[in-house]
Amino acid sequence: MENVLEVKELTTQFKGKVGYLTVVDKVDFTVRKGEVMGIVGESGCGKSVTSLSILQLLDKKGKVSGGEIRFKDIDLLKQGEKELRKIRGKEISMIFQDPMTSLNPVLTIGKQIGEIIVKHEKQKGSNVKSKVVELLQLVGIPRANELFHEYPHRLSGGMKQRVMIAMAIACNPSLLIADEPTTALDVTIQAQILDLLRSLKDDMDMSILLITHDLGVVAEICDRVVVMYAGQVVETTDSRTLLRNPRHPYTTGLIESTPQQSTIGKRLKSIPGQVPTPDEYGMGCRFADRCPKAMEICNHGVPPLLMIDENTSCRCWLYKEEEHGV
Amino acid sequence: MTKLSEAYKPIQARSIPKAPLNVKFDTLKKIMSYKRAKYCLAFLFLIVIIGVFAPILAPYNPNKLFYDALLQPPSKEHLLGTDAIGRDTLSRLIYGVRVTLSVSVFALGITFVAGTFIGLICAYIGGVVDNILMRIMDILLALPSIILALAIVAILGPSLTNAMLAVGIASIPGFARLIRGAALTIKSSGYVEASRSIGSSHSWILRRQFLPNVTGVLIVYTTLFIGVAILDTAALSFIGLGAQPPTSEWGTMLSEGKDYLYEAWWLATFPGLAITAVVFSVNFLGDALRDVFDPKSKG
Repeated sequence: MENVLEVKELTTQFKGKVGYLTVVDKVDFTVRKGEVMGIVGESGCGKSVTSLSILQLLDKKGKVSGGEIRFKDIDLLKQGEKELRKIRGKEISMIFQDPMTSLNPVLTIGKQIGEIIVKHEKQKGSNVKSKVVELLQLVGIPRANELFHEYPHRLSGGMKQRVMIAMAIACNPSLLIADEPTTALDVTIQAQILDLLRSLKDDMDMSILLITHDLGVVAEICDRVVVMYAGQVVETTDSRTLLRNPRHPYTTGLIESTPQQSTIGKRLKSIPGQVPTPDEYGMGCRFADRCPKAMEICNHGVPPLLMIDENTSCRCWLYKEEEHGV
Repeated sequence: MTKLSEAYKPIQARSIPKAPLNVKFDTLKKIMSYKRAKYCLAFLFLIVIIGVFAPILAPYNPNKLFYDALLQPPSKEHLLGTDAIGRDTLSRLIYGVRVTLSVSVFALGITFVAGTFIGLICAYIGGVVDNILMRIMDILLALPSIILALAIVAILGPSLTNAMLAVGIASIPGFARLIRGAALTIKSSGYVEASRSIGSSHSWILRRQFLPNVTGVLIVYTTLFIGVAILDTAALSFIGLGAQPPTSEWGTMLSEGKDYLYEAWWLATFPGLAITAVVFSVNFLGDALRDVFDPKSKG
């Protein structure tokens, strides 16, 4: 299948008190046409920074210091601000975690969605308006006509997220980056939003890069998954394999700490300790301190990301000796 | 658009209702629903009309001297009395509308445009630009605005135009600081990031995301400032650096009248009342405007 997005050795650094801290460290992944790619990890693993790096929306303290982000045939890192503006929203769009703060409280819904159409499609007046109403209906908002003139505070969280999605898909983007789109919503609404994303993806033939910390969401919607830990990719595979046969001890830990049918009545496991911050990364494997299977070698070197089989690669010394390696 | 999955098939598009958008008319209607604001607006409108038709409405030429009627109390011939050299107070008051209103609007214009611009730029760019501009503003703020205005007039020479300019410029720092404060909270908000993610340029974000959000602050401060502008111009005129005699300007009249407070109360009272009434109306109107422009108060 054709790749929509190829990220190679992406490295993003943030200015700290002493020099630069590497927050995203040589991350590789690809998003294929029409698939949902998930990025999973705990808070502070660099998931969001990765997504912001793609559109280069990092604030002044952060910068992409290496690698390549290839979108279709364009290297996004080589584009100037002006070219990027034409890509943002039109080719690649983004939805954010908190719909409550992502809409401007003093502009009406219609105006906010209309802006992107005015900007990228150079339409005017009633054309924009009917397009907006169409979009609102498309994302399943009832009373779309009346809502056109409403302000965001009249909407619930789920509705606001639908509005954000309407904005994001307004120009038929090829890639939608969804940064924890359901985290701030309650469970029933989560399911609705995921449903909506999936059907939009099918109807509009776009790819989705979904960032989440919820393996339930991964099981629900993702085709393939990248597991990130402390700024590195630790495992890449398809979501079915990931959930049934996790390779990396971190992935295993994540799955075990998710409530499941089989764990009813038992005490839920958790991964001890915390994600190290970028200034605490040592010489060895970054997960070693929390890993139940840690060995001597783990403290001495960062394991390479090995292809274990066709679909799966994993960053762990456990797989070094195995024959499918390298 | 492309085909839709069953679950999200749109309801057959009804005709899109006409927006309640003839925006200006709409806003006016809303203002009219505030009783106090309605009267204030009517009053201000009346004042403007008076200013426009001053030559028709004023009973006498404002500079005509009635040698036989010095310091006359209000009477049939001179409804609001006469001053020490026999000029009709009512006529001077009516002509004064023109000067006083244009002074405050002009000064306001300068402050409004420059203050908003500097404030937004500082908040949005931040860093060195913010630091330099704001330190300059701090230095200017350290002086009372009237002293600053004095210095500016001293450089430019005394005249009404320069007084307006001075009052306008002297008020920029406070205004800029206020707007910057309001804009800083917007800068870090999610919708600015969201706007960038759909490809907005900097100027677009400033105009479409920042400006509408600071309108509330802008309007309230602006209306308050009209009062200050009138008073500051009057103060400059009082020390002879503003409106030059025989221009009839409310502030000048007030300060002239103050010398005769015991003998001729009407001289200071009526210009004072006029200033008070205008300032009050503008402030009440400002309150109502803030409510009207705040989406959360729109039922």
